[in-house]
Amino acid sequence: MLPKFDFLRPNTLSEALAMLAEHAPDVVPLAGGTNLIVEMRDGHRSPKKLMDVGRLRELRGIRRDDGHLVVGGGTTISELLAHPLIAEHGLPLRQAAGLLGNPLVRNRATVAGNLANASPAADTAPPLLALGAEVELMSKDKTRYLPLYEFVVDVNKTLLQPDELLASIRWQVPHPRSAAGFYKIGLRKADACSVINAAAMVVWDERGLCSQARIALGAAAPRPVRAREAEAALLGQPLEAGVIEAASNLAVQATHPIDDIRGTAAYRRRMAQVILRRLLTQIAESQASGRQQS
Amino acid sequence: MSRYTAKQLPPTNLPELRQIGKPLRRVDAMGKAVGSTVYAGDFSLPLMLHAKVFRSTQSSALIKRLDVSNARAMAGVVCVLTAADVPNAKLVSDMPGQTGQKQRTGSDVPVLASDRVRFYGEPIALIAAETLDIAERAMRMIDIEYEPLPGVYDPLEAMKPGAPILHPPDNVVARWKIRKGDLEKGFAEANHVVENTFRMRYQEHAYLEPEAGVAWIDERGVITIRVSTQVIEHFRSIARAVGVPQNRIRIQGTMVGGGFGGKEDVTVEIYLALLAKHTNRPVRLVYTREESIFGHSKRHPYVIRHRTGVKTNGRITAAEIEVVSDSGAYPYLSPYVLLYTLVMSTGPYRVDNLHVDAATIATNNPYTSAFRGFGGPQACFAYEQQMDAIAERLGMDPLEVRKVNYVRTGDTTATGQPIESAAWLEETATRSMEALGGKTPERGPIKVGQGFSSYFQSYGRIMWLHDTSQAWVGVELDGTVTVRAGVPELGAGQANSLCQIAAEVLGVPLDRVSIYCTDSAITPLSGTSTATRQLYMSGNATLMAATNVRKVLLEHASKTLAAEIENLDMAEGRAFVKSDPSRFIDLPDLAKGCAAEGSHLASLAMFKAPFKDPIDPETGQGPVFPDFTFGSYAVEVAVDTETGQITVLKAAACHDIGRAINRAAVEGQIAGGGMQGLGYALMEDLIVKDGVIQTPSLSEYLIPTCKDFPTTTVIILESGTGVGPFGAKGIGEPSLTPAAPAVASAVADAIGIRIHELPLTPERVLAAIDGAKK
Amino acid sequence: MKPEVITMNINGRAHHIALEPNVTLLTTLRDLGYTDVKCGCEKGDCGACAILLRLPGADSAEAVNSCLVLTWQADGADITTVAGLGTAEQPHPLHSAFADTGAIQCGYCSPGLIIAAKALLDRNPHPTEQEIREAIEGNLCRCTGYGHIIDAIRTAADKMSSGKGGAR
Repeated sequence: MLPKFDFLRPNTLSEALAMLAEHAPDVVPLAGGTNLIVEMRDGHRSPKKLMDVGRLRELRGIRRDDGHLVVGGGTTISELLAHPLIAEHGLPLRQAAGLLGNPLVRNRATVAGNLANASPAADTAPPLLALGAEVELMSKDKTRYLPLYEFVVDVNKTLLQPDELLASIRWQVPHPRSAAGFYKIGLRKADACSVINAAAMVVWDERGLCSQARIALGAAAPRPVRAREAEAALLGQPLEAGVIEAASNLAVQATHPIDDIRGTAAYRRRMAQVILRRLLTQIAESQASGRQQS
Repeated sequence: MSRYTAKQLPPTNLPELRQIGKPLRRVDAMGKAVGSTVYAGDFSLPLMLHAKVFRSTQSSALIKRLDVSNARAMAGVVCVLTAADVPNAKLVSDMPGQTGQKQRTGSDVPVLASDRVRFYGEPIALIAAETLDIAERAMRMIDIEYEPLPGVYDPLEAMKPGAPILHPPDNVVARWKIRKGDLEKGFAEANHVVENTFRMRYQEHAYLEPEAGVAWIDERGVITIRVSTQVIEHFRSIARAVGVPQNRIRIQGTMVGGGFGGKEDVTVEIYLALLAKHTNRPVRLVYTREESIFGHSKRHPYVIRHRTGVKTNGRITAAEIEVVSDSGAYPYLSPYVLLYTLVMSTGPYRVDNLHVDAATIATNNPYTSAFRGFGGPQACFAYEQQMDAIAERLGMDPLEVRKVNYVRTGDTTATGQPIESAAWLEETATRSMEALGGKTPERGPIKVGQGFSSYFQSYGRIMWLHDTSQAWVGVELDGTVTVRAGVPELGAGQANSLCQIAAEVLGVPLDRVSIYCTDSAITPLSGTSTATRQLYMSGNATLMAATNVRKVLLEHASKTLAAEIENLDMAEGRAFVKSDPSRFIDLPDLAKGCAAEGSHLASLAMFKAPFKDPIDPETGQGPVFPDFTFGSYAVEVAVDTETGQITVLKAAACHDIGRAINRAAVEGQIAGGGMQGLGYALMEDLIVKDGVIQTPSLSEYLIPTCKDFPTTTVIILESGTGVGPFGAKGIGEPSLTPAAPAVASAVADAIGIRIHELPLTPERVLAAIDGAKK
Repeated sequence: MKPEVITMNINGRAHHIALEPNVTLLTTLRDLGYTDVKCGCEKGDCGACAILLRLPGADSAEAVNSCLVLTWQADGADITTVAGLGTAEQPHPLHSAFADTGAIQCGYCSPGLIIAAKALLDRNPHPTEQEIREAIEGNLCRCTGYGHIIDAIRTAADKMSSGKGGAR
């Protein structure tokens, strides 16, 4: 049984923000509930108040806004999987969406929920880090933007204030000369929590050399991390096997994994190198075949 | 092209049957499809209370203080029971629902722990409250203080002197042994000796339906329990534990949402009975998934050591086998699981000089008991890998080394029991491997391998338990047929098979047969739905009963139609003259005619398995099981040598099931059992640390989704030589037994390394690859 | 918080029920008598509790785990359970296909599976085997090994797209 709570049901976003301002810090937004309801059932969380944000139209929708892709925080994982804009401009996120949970969960789980819950293994986080995403945090009086990397600070901890909603996530439309991808290791072929995952986006210049790289690893540290040493090793280089190998070997430096029921820290450290090498190789193949994304 | 081709089958002369063998729609299928079938947790009665079980959070401890007064005082709490309230409540745990069995020391399980807890999750108190919410809150009001005791969590440690003792005098719950032939001479004749140790860990049943039931006291004071169970005969032990006569407890078993052995021991029914009796109100108890995983038995972890002497041509000359299993905190069925392992320890191979020593050991781990295969899958993982290791040592093809040793009809098992039915080992092995086809090409770090296993697994229970089953078949005056049998339906089609048999014998379409089952008060007892016995035992009982009724009907028809009985048959709802089918009588008319003459239109039959004596305690020789099923499983795997992940690319299973009663049901059992075996091999990792399960939900303990394995190619062979009805054998457990060793064999083929442990997790595979490099 | 009246349309029948917020839709459905919706884990791990949920304003229904929806979140929603697709006398093609293809053994996963299959076929009347597997990957079955289930969904798809028989 779930613990008792008050349930607030705003009809509009501004109502929701007003309610948050009034009831903070006792109120937690509820979207799909695929994490929060489980945690409440298991006794790990008992918020005094929940606020239903699942019906707020303003938090839905995926659109291209000039040079940015903007995804409403209430967008479900199923919607991410199906939307042509995500396929075109957010491929690693789409790949992650297809591997997150299962279709029944995806129909309810939201991208804001996945990010705000801040599990170290959250599947949408590394792709969004690779895309260079930032989150839009709205409260009654102000709106602010934070790079996703700064937003998630620790296991299940973000900089979301008690009176804020994660209203949207946006990233710059990837450069035409770029490719990106997502890779996940789980203990079965569907509906599995990541043992470790990775996402990467590589931009190259007219000569085909890497001009920008973002590499993110998940389930390898208390929060999803950027593998900066690995990124630096790619800059100015062609995406050849030797370069990829060298960069992948540096991935482990970004990791601080633990032993848990799904894997040992040693395995995660070792797999960081393997999955990054495979991901970068796929990206190199996309580059070679002239496709924008892998 | 596969490197094996199917061995030709000997001719069989199976009679043509009209409905037996056909994939007819099962009698229970549509109700389950439209959701109208009522499972044990779907019942609701007026004034019903909601129960919870308060459990130990220590693996090994004394209970220093237990105070339930605050819980009892809570508004809405109607009853809290502790051991002090039910001091005589004990269950015999070492054999379900039997009469007159000799009990082992410490085999009685206290329903509620009194002064000591021996495993994490051991029940300590029962709560019944007006709502589930109140019951859950009352759980938190129970005040308990433990004094931890040293515990032991490894059976090998538990065997050493000085280890903490679970039940005096020691932790050896049971031993079995075999002494056959002359071991020394056998080893002396060997050209090679191959020795390996194999380790297998737990498996969790993970049925979709957690344990559930509701109990009430009916208008005559009979405690009535609706429960999801594999055994309604538990009414006897529940009667004793509750302190009422056996004929004042009634168990109405429901359609079971998966059993696999996990609902073979008493689960919730005892708590329901006690609470109903103490409150005089209906009580409902349904486990959460976590309560289910913490609260019921598991498959035994095993360590099995094989030392085998072989000649250069592959012939086994001697085998020495040592078996240790983890019985957990209470014996339950551990001694019998161990016996199964003993009987099947050598595999389906001729071994004339044999020593087997088997022991099952108590620990403070979760208790272990029945799980599909019942010690057979563990034996199979060991003996099949050992055969492959022998093949490798001799540089022989794995099938060739087996062919030199396969048992044939007339040979004896490890306990000296002659095999009387067909033993189609080469026939099944070649077919399952042939179905895999040529090897899928390898790519980069992905290595591909193929492997198969041969196995044999008993069906029917241990013969010295004197198993019987009853079934009642009757014809109504409108020509419909009624079957009454105690049989619990677990989903394998146990109930439907009886209907299909009655339909065949009485010549009525299956949808004109109705079965009333699983009621200990009003359906003749058919025994447990365990040990792959229902088709054999209750199928035969139904066949007998239906045949008796058919005889009565045909005697009457022979007069009516003026034809000899030998010239009569029954089909499509009528009795007719075979040589002139235009002369017939419809079954309703025939039934009414019989009734008018006082002929009995129904029959209650009892089928008895052979009654034997226990095996010799010194030599382990003697017949044990009515018969065995033989078969094979083959897989092709891709091993990612960088991540250790294994992907099954193809799977094929070939079993001689004697005779299929419902073809779709047989296919489903072979595919489903095989997949449960693949899960056991690859992903089902129940992590237990100091007796505490670390993976108590289905996102932590992983069972196969539909994306994990390809559809199995199912090849059914019918030798017609089984002792079940129409020559049927059994498939429920046999379907699971060979899967894990086939995977291990394929992995070894792929990476050249044999891994002797289960499950084959990615980290274990990588560790093996690393180890081989050194 | 005080109970409020929540209105839902379940299998075509209107329900008004007063309850507090901390009750899942799974619990409410079963308490209302829709015991065809099964409870397997209460965590979204098994799919046994799957139903079709169409929230107010949504174009179409989606298959979701009812254990992860609060009843209050379903206020004004249309809900379909497996029993709402047809009856034994007038079965939906999915009911018949599951019953006839050996796709049902213990039957406990069947309601949720049939719902997931219905959601698939509503969107994609001619799914490939891969698409079928993807649609039901959140429905665990411990008995069948999934082969017959996939056959049944294909059989139902063929029947439904050819316009033959059964309740819609």
